[in-house]
Amino acid sequence: MDKLVFDIKNLDLYYGKFQALKNINLTIEKNKVTALIGPSGCGKSTFLRVLNRMNDLIEECKIIGDVHFHQENIYKERFDVIDLRTRVGMVFQKPNPFPMSIYDNVAYGPRCQGIKDKAKLDEIVDNALKSAALYDEVSDRMKESAMDLSGGQQQRLCIARAIAMEPEVILMDEPTSALDPIATLKIEELINDLKEQYTIVIVTHSMQQAARISDQTAFFLMGELIESDQTDKIFTQPKHKETEDYITGRFG
Amino acid sequence: MSMSSKRKAIDIAYQAITYIASSISLLALSMIVYFVWTNGSGLLNIDLLTKDYHAQYFNGELQEDYTYSTTARPSDLDDSIYYSERYGIGLADGKDREGNPIILVEYLAPDSPMLSLADKNSEEIISVEEDMLVSKVSFFDKATALRSFGAENMINELNEVDEFREIVYTSLGGGIRGSIITTLYLIGMTMVLALPIGVFTAIYLNEFAKKNRLTSTLRTLIDTLTGVPSIIYGLMGLAVFVPFTISTTPATSGNLISGSLTLAVILLPVIIKSTEESLKVVPDGLRQASLALGANETQTTFKVVLPSSIPGILTASLLGIGRVIGESAALIFAIGTAVKDDISIFGKSTSLAVHIWSMMTDEPANIELSSTIAIIILMIVLFLNVSVKLLSKKFMKPLQ
Amino acid sequence: MNTNTKRKKRVDQLVRGLFMAATLLSASFIIVIVIFIIIKGITPFITDNDGLGAVNIWTFITGTVWLKGTAFQSNLYGVGYIILNTLYVAFLALLLSLPIGVLTALFIAKIAPKKLAEFLRTIVELLASIPSIVYGLFGSGVILSFVYNLADLFGVQSKGGNSVLATVLVLALMTLPTITAVSEVAIRSVRKDIEEGSLALGATRTQTNFKVVLASAKSGIFAAAILGIGRSLGEATAVSLVAGNAQSGPNFGIFDITSTLTSTMLKGLKETTGIDYDIRFSVGIILMVVILLTNFILNAVKKRVGNVNVK
Repeated sequence: MDKLVFDIKNLDLYYGKFQALKNINLTIEKNKVTALIGPSGCGKSTFLRVLNRMNDLIEECKIIGDVHFHQENIYKERFDVIDLRTRVGMVFQKPNPFPMSIYDNVAYGPRCQGIKDKAKLDEIVDNALKSAALYDEVSDRMKESAMDLSGGQQQRLCIARAIAMEPEVILMDEPTSALDPIATLKIEELINDLKEQYTIVIVTHSMQQAARISDQTAFFLMGELIESDQTDKIFTQPKHKETEDYITGRFG
Repeated sequence: MSMSSKRKAIDIAYQAITYIASSISLLALSMIVYFVWTNGSGLLNIDLLTKDYHAQYFNGELQEDYTYSTTARPSDLDDSIYYSERYGIGLADGKDREGNPIILVEYLAPDSPMLSLADKNSEEIISVEEDMLVSKVSFFDKATALRSFGAENMINELNEVDEFREIVYTSLGGGIRGSIITTLYLIGMTMVLALPIGVFTAIYLNEFAKKNRLTSTLRTLIDTLTGVPSIIYGLMGLAVFVPFTISTTPATSGNLISGSLTLAVILLPVIIKSTEESLKVVPDGLRQASLALGANETQTTFKVVLPSSIPGILTASLLGIGRVIGESAALIFAIGTAVKDDISIFGKSTSLAVHIWSMMTDEPANIELSSTIAIIILMIVLFLNVSVKLLSKKFMKPLQ
Repeated sequence: MNTNTKRKKRVDQLVRGLFMAATLLSASFIIVIVIFIIIKGITPFITDNDGLGAVNIWTFITGTVWLKGTAFQSNLYGVGYIILNTLYVAFLALLLSLPIGVLTALFIAKIAPKKLAEFLRTIVELLASIPSIVYGLFGSGVILSFVYNLADLFGVQSKGGNSVLATVLVLALMTLPTITAVSEVAIRSVRKDIEEGSLALGATRTQTNFKVVLASAKSGIFAAAILGIGRSLGEATAVSLVAGNAQSGPNFGIFDITSTLTSTMLKGLKETTGIDYDIRFSVGIILMVVILLTNFILNAVKKRVGNVNVK
């Protein structure tokens, strides 16, 4: 029962008159990597943003259905969105470090929550950077600007920044699409390590990546969830023709 | 982790100061408009736009063939007005801006002899008019009725005798006709100078100049003009344009031409930039099509490119007019600060803005009339801004 | 090439020459300004000024007293204290208008609903289009009496309200729209995903605005400040009506009267002759130098600030 972190039922999402998500039913399991795949514009990123209510930032966005995070509907009235986001972190497609020092980037989240004690912050920052496999590379220049890091390092910094909040879930929106193959590999290894402690939901446009790193895979097409199963089953014995077509590269 | 109430309070405090700061602009604008309106609206009327600024003095005496008026005191005349039937004139007491007593002419009967008096200083016939002030009336056999003795006294003295020796009266002044005409002259002359030079410069820079050192130097030289405060332009006007106009025109001092020349230089960067912007938007295809049809560069420029950039030029013109109307420091040096009623482009006078400065630096400062002029300036500037906005919208639409 | 084409080509050459002439003319003005002001401004230092003696450059630049030439039979012109006064009021004005302007810009760009934002933006535009003489009138009519009463409250006698404080208030009011407008552009151009990154970490909208958005818009806001200072240094008619014409200084007390370079140039213009007239050009040179130097220094600082990181 508490293996289910997210339980989504009959989710519809509208941008104004356009329906971007149609009747989505999906569960996200604890300490697993769930990959969301599908062609461009199929709604996978939109769905991801439902999970931490980042869609709230778009004015014409309307949600119908249940999105339960540990049995609580996150879209109910007066739900504490700020709190949700401290427990469900996000890493974006293009690395987006703040124009501050490396240290300040990682310490940002905790500081916003009111943690001021320097010793405590130091500890949080060091641990987060270690968990993100970045510590060794930056430990001697933590006060330098985060903008001086390479793309791959910046992305790992963003992951460290999210980890510093000690979330339960980390959402990743195509985290490696802007990176070179070596940096991509490093992040994939990192994700593999992270899943022991965190639940990860990752949107990816690369099926190979999904096959490599995820335990569960969900295939989206034109706003609908076509199929969702264990990764090896999706890729070897897909139940639906559309899934098979996508996997074999016939479109998308 | 979730937010403590202390941090919620800090959050709200930050929001509060943001809201407060934002309301300051609104507050400031309201205060300025309110102040200007309260002090100046009282004087707003058509007369203001046509009257002289300076009070004119008249010395009049009865003509040889004068006749008395036969008009009885009109019934709608206020009780505070003292009336003389034989002279058909109604006077009342008042106070000038410094608090001194004055006598106002409130009413003149159509057959009043005061309407055609002989001017003591010339051969002309002059007349007393309503709203003028009487300084004194002197008589042959008795003491002069001074304004300090009041209107009632003056009327009584007039009624006692058959004739008076002299009446000294003044027009009210305080009109801004001179400044309005000056401003219009300045706008016209400045635009005639600045537009061609500015537009041609923009055309050259955008259409013909090659991308080399010379061109970028020229651009830099033009760009630096924008950072120069207008008072410096005024100094230049004084040092260059005033002597220039003195030696080439009938002018003998700062004049409207030197003022326009100065303003034209101020407007140049604005016009150049705005014209260039609208030239850039014209698609290259149009130019090439024209050239391919056998037109030369000149024809292409004037017949194809320029017409498409008219909106941009129009915008720049409106902005330029606004600048001319609002400019003060530059004109104080390039023309001068003497308010005049008879305007010649070879002589000094003030624009509306400089008129305000001239009055505000008098002792005492005339805040009321200054506010009235400010109301007029603000309304014009508002109108120009709205026009620019509408024009930009219309300009942008067809290109999207 | 037939004659028609030849004619067309010649027309082209003429017209192109015309355009180039216009450009050269436009570009020449800045040079004309500099040269003539320098020529006229140097005069008091190298001529005898009708028997009063040449003005000493050093005393001029560093002096703390300004005495009218022919009236006082002196050539004691010291502009030093006026330079300090001018910079002083300009920076104080910035101290007021920068926070207010940036917060207003933040409100318009990020917090206010669309209609309110548009409304406020229009208000700011209107304020920006008010000519300086009208600000001077407002300052003279309202701000002077406000300062006078305020000083009275503190038991200080001020010269009818003419003071450093009045000057600062007027300048702050005048530079507010510029700073707001330029800051708004800077704030709007902050990358959206940086904002989203902050929100995704569980920061509130307010925390995001202040800690991340403003920090990212730093260099644009700095540029706005530089523009504001430039405007304050060059403002003439409005300041001349509220400053009070201090003959000596420098004047740092907020209820003291003051003089700026521009107000000195405008002072008593109605009745001046001789050296008193020419010296205004000298002050003009100083003004240009001060503006250039300030711009240069502030821009250099801006480059460094862009590289240092703020929490």
